[in-house]
Parts: sequence; structure tokens; C-alpha cells
Amino acid sequence: MFSALENNAGPGSPLAAQAPHCTTTMMLSDQENETLISIQNGVVTSVTNGPFVMPSWTFRLTASPSEWQAFLEATPKPGSHDLMAMLRRGVLRFEGDLHPLMSNFLYFKRLLASLRPGPGMGDGE
Amino acid sequence: MTLHIEPITGRYAHMEMNGHMHRIYWEEAGRGIPLVCLHTAGSDGRQYRAILNDPEVTRNYRVMVFDMPRHGKSSPAPGTVDQEYQLTSDAYVEQILAFVQAMELDQPVVMGCSIGGRIVLHLAHEHPEKFRALIGLQSSDHVDPYYDTGWLNRSDVHGGQVCGAVAYGLMAPQSPVADRQETRWHYMQGGPGVFKGDLWFYKVDGDISDQVAAIDPEKCPLYLLTGEYDYSCTPADTKSLADRLGIDMTVMAEMGHFPMSENPEKFLTYLRPVLNKIR
Repeated sequence: MFSALENNAGPGSPLAAQAPHCTTTMMLSDQENETLISIQNGVVTSVTNGPFVMPSWTFRLTASPSEWQAFLEATPKPGSHDLMAMLRRGVLRFEGDLHPLMSNFLYFKRLLASLRPGPGMGDGE
Repeated sequence: MTLHIEPITGRYAHMEMNGHMHRIYWEEAGRGIPLVCLHTAGSDGRQYRAILNDPEVTRNYRVMVFDMPRHGKSSPAPGTVDQEYQLTSDAYVEQILAFVQAMELDQPVVMGCSIGGRIVLHLAHEHPEKFRALIGLQSSDHVDPYYDTGWLNRSDVHGGQVCGAVAYGLMAPQSPVADRQETRWHYMQGGPGVFKGDLWFYKVDGDISDQVAAIDPEKCPLYLLTGEYDYSCTPADTKSLADRLGIDMTVMAEMGHFPMSENPEKFLTYLRPVLNKIR
């Protein structure tokens, strides 16, 4: 589900340029499967699918498969269109050290929105 | 090429608010019934740029938009810049009444969005006789905290960036890109701690759920309009409020938390009929 992130935020991409000071490890979970995303200076350097035995991550975002699918629609419905909207509905969980996430919040919102079908960053901008 | 100059004028007026003399910036356009517009938390009066520029509105309404202290071009009162800022219901009501009195407005209409949509409920409860009508955009009687607003004002997080990112998600994906970006920019320009301090009113002090039953829409007509993509004040939140007040509400399709700013042309199609009814 998340494997395209390496292409979407590769070296020199507009997305990577949005977070030049962001180096972190993010775990994405759909409650059954986990994907580890490594980021160096805004560039997604690796996307590794689990299962993992002893994964290390800085923060983790967890939602059900259907909630991730709803977020990734080309035009998501109200309540599924934004990470914070999902947080408000209690269907997305933020865990761990949230500092890299919150200090680069727009970058991470757009990084995930980039998985939506269509051109650009997945948000029309 | 003819230079495009908008019909808006912006000036400063000195008035007392919350025990301090303030140099308040306001913009206005039009003639007729005063229509005082209240911006959202952490933003400023630029959100109403399209309303101020709409000849159909300004033909009959004197649209006036003031920047609250600490917002836009209204600076904090002298000597208070380093004080922790927490907006309270009483202070907010006082600011609106002070502006109305200083401008010598007779029975204005007040339209507010988000925190402005909340404070019109306080006005309806405490001062219904002072207003011709009240319009609440994204109006709810309370909102339960759902994230740690501490992230909005920390020395190790860029406040402009994080506030802009929060505002970004509150808008509908269908809203025009240029207007979404402008709306986000207003948030990116907010002063440190201002958005967080406004949310103290929105999420804590301004909870008016206990007083909704005492609001009488017969004393002052109340109109409620909410964008369907708003997750902070959802259509269901406004519907619940409207049901308890015994009034109708309007859900604005494909619109989020900042209707007048994120999709002004579409918002005007909802607003003009309301203003015609009030007139």
C-alpha cells in the first residue's frame, strides 16, 4: 500500500524539498501489516514491508485497512481527507516521539496524500 | 491595462478593550446595515476579502472586519506582548461590544466563523437585543479536545508551519488551490501562541453547552451554516445545536472550516440568500 513513497519523495523531488531537516523512521500500520519508512533529509530512502522481529521506529501511524483506503481515494470523503480528521474520528493513532511528525506536519500529510491517484502531491497543489 | 483597486478601505482606530487601549485595524466596504465579520482562531480579517469585494453584499450592507488584538494588523496592547495569551468568553464578547460601540453601530448583524461561530452563541445568550441577526459559520456549542494544542506553540517546532499544516487539513479538497493556499498563509503568519490561545476559548472556556437552552432565537434571528469537510465543527455538531435551538441549519457541500476564505465564490451563493432574508 505504501511502497510508492520511495518514488514520490526521491532525491530532488518537490516533496523531499519540503522537509530538508527531517531525518526519521516512521512505521505505518494497518493493524495487520507494518511498513517501515526511512527518511533522510526529506528523502524516503527505504520502504520495508514487515513482518518485523524487533523494529525500531520514531513514531507510528496506525489505522485499519479500510480507513487507509478511504484516505487514499482520489477525492476522499469528509473525515477521511486528512490525518487530523482521522485522528478526530478516533480511527488513526499517533504513537511514539511525535516531534518529527509535528515539526514537519504538512510534509507528512502530503507524503501520504501523494499515494492518491493523480498527478502532483495528491492534494491538487 | 487598468489598475485593479479594490473598494476596501483599511484604517486604525484607538479603542479600549479588555482594560487596555488598543490600536485596532479594521477593513470595510459598502453602505447600509452594518455587518461585522469575525475571523477564525489564529487568523485575521483577510479571510473576508471576497465578502468585502462583493457588490451584491456591499450594495445593502456596510461590511466591517476587525483584526482581534494579536491578530493581523492589531498588535498586542503595549506591555503585554510576552504575556501568555488565553482568549476567554468574556474578553471576546467585550472586544465585539467595544468595536460596535466605538463605531457607533446600531443593531449590526454579526457573522463569525469557528471561534466566531461560537461567540455569536454567547452574544445570542447574553445580548440578543443588541443585534439585528447573528450568523454562525462552523458553529457548535462545544468541541471535545482531540489533539494536544501544545504542539502549536513550542520553541522546537516552527509555529507558522504547524499552524498552517493544521489549517490545511480543515479545508475541502474541492476548494480552489489559490484560496486554500491564501487561507493557509494567514495561519503561517500568526503570532506565537495566538492560535493556541484562541483555542483555549474554542475548546475550554467558550463551551456554551449548558446555556443553549436559554438562547431564544425569537429574540435575535440566528442562522447556522457549516461546511461538510469540517472535522473540527462537523455538520453533525451544528445539527445537534440547531435541533436544540429549534432552528434550521445549512450544510455547505464541498466546503471545509473556512468557507468565506477557502471557497469564497461558492460561499457567497449560500450567504447572499441569508443576507437578503435579514434585510
